Amino acid sequence: MSELVTLLVTSVLINNVILNQFLGMCPFMGVSKKKSSALGMGVAVVFVIVVAALVTYALYYLVLVPIGLEFMELITFILVIASLVQLTEMFIKKYSPSLYKSLGVYLPLITTNCVVLNVCLVNITNAYDFSHMLVYSVGTPLGFALVLYIFSTIRERLELSNVPAAFKGNGIALICAAIMSMAFSGLAGIV
Amino acid sequence: MKYLLAALFFGALVLVYIVLYLLNKKTPLPEGCEDLKADCEGCHDFSCSHNPAHHIKKAEGE
Amino acid sequence: MDQLKNFKNGLIKDNPVFSLFLGICSTLAITTSINNAIGMGVSVIIVLTMSNVIISMIRKITPDEIRIPVYIVIIATLVTIIQMLIQAFAPALNESLGVFIPLIVVNCIILGRAESFASKNGIVASAIDGIGMGLGYTLAVLSMSLIREVLSTGGILITNPFNTAQVLLNVTLFPEDFTISLFGSPVGAFITFACLASALGAYKMHLEAKEKAKEK
Repeated sequence: MSELVTLLVTSVLINNVILNQFLGMCPFMGVSKKKSSALGMGVAVVFVIVVAALVTYALYYLVLVPIGLEFMELITFILVIASLVQLTEMFIKKYSPSLYKSLGVYLPLITTNCVVLNVCLVNITNAYDFSHMLVYSVGTPLGFALVLYIFSTIRERLELSNVPAAFKGNGIALICAAIMSMAFSGLAGIV
Repeated sequence: MKYLLAALFFGALVLVYIVLYLLNKKTPLPEGCEDLKADCEGCHDFSCSHNPAHHIKKAEGE
Repeated sequence: MDQLKNFKNGLIKDNPVFSLFLGICSTLAITTSINNAIGMGVSVIIVLTMSNVIISMIRKITPDEIRIPVYIVIIATLVTIIQMLIQAFAPALNESLGVFIPLIVVNCIILGRAESFASKNGIVASAIDGIGMGLGYTLAVLSMSLIREVLSTGGILITNPFNTAQVLLNVTLFPEDFTISLFGSPVGAFITFACLASALGAYKMHLEAKEKAKEK
């Protein structure tokens, strides 16, 4: 049990997917200009990753390994993620228009997102069993959403400050990310 | 034999994707959501449909 | 010549990493050493050029609505092949690049160029564009890893990727007591990237100001 808690804390804070593993930088730079869009993107990513991790894990160990098709791993995962995004979008459109309003537009962005594919691949490479896989797949997107939200609050204020012309926009945002990364690396002492 | 199964499996996945994509296209957007736009002007990834470059083209096309 | 101009653009002015901010994930992660940078750069050039050529060949027969998944499947197949080749012939490179080889599939550069260039242009033009953008990526990654490696380890160490025992270049520029280990960590990656990207932005602004002055 304590191993799972350590895994959770590690995947959310210490081995944070954006600040330490550098994944998911595209939405990090693109969607983080407003708090509301950051929140929408964060929730959408959590949902898609948890479902995608479960489905790809099941598919790998129940279909690919028994038949001996491990080399199809990458193609299978990508197709499954793309199909899941379509399915999720369809469900949300039909059954919850209010949910679609807040996060429906971000779903297609997640198909080519590094984080989803990485979580699915790492679950296999690290040979996690079911409970570890679940904890890792919930913790990683939570860390992503957390950092994205914090970053958007900082960026909203940066828009109003006096930044040197060459650094405006993405340059100063990356320097902020560097400082955030320093701050988060100080949390490494928790475990 | 193994590669035949691999090809069949691949075909099945592609089929599932195409079916879901077509179903998704058919479901209409709920009312009030017709003109939503993700506020994204970050990367210059032209393949991303949210890139502002696509919106400019649409405006010129109309 | 139009194609030569495209090629030159991809190298510096429209550099995919520092100007278009594509493919940032892999740039930040693998630039800890020049070995990795070269290995990754070559893989990206190969995948980018081949995917551009293949997509350009089939551009007239792919229906418009499912083109993105088609491109993704083509790129995934190419990356699987490259990954197996690297695992077989350069296992040390496989260890250090880790999960970023399969992540070339969702690298924004490849899908972005496929969508914006290869789907609308001929085979030769797409190939040249692929090589140009790939070289631009390699240039960016090399410059970042040069700065990071020199500042964090005090020197440059390049080994043969197919036979890691063979050292190709081993230069120590300053003693280890003065190294800034910060640059080996994620923090240093962000800072180096921000400075290089802003430097390129400043250079582009300078160019634009010169052109405007010329027009007047």
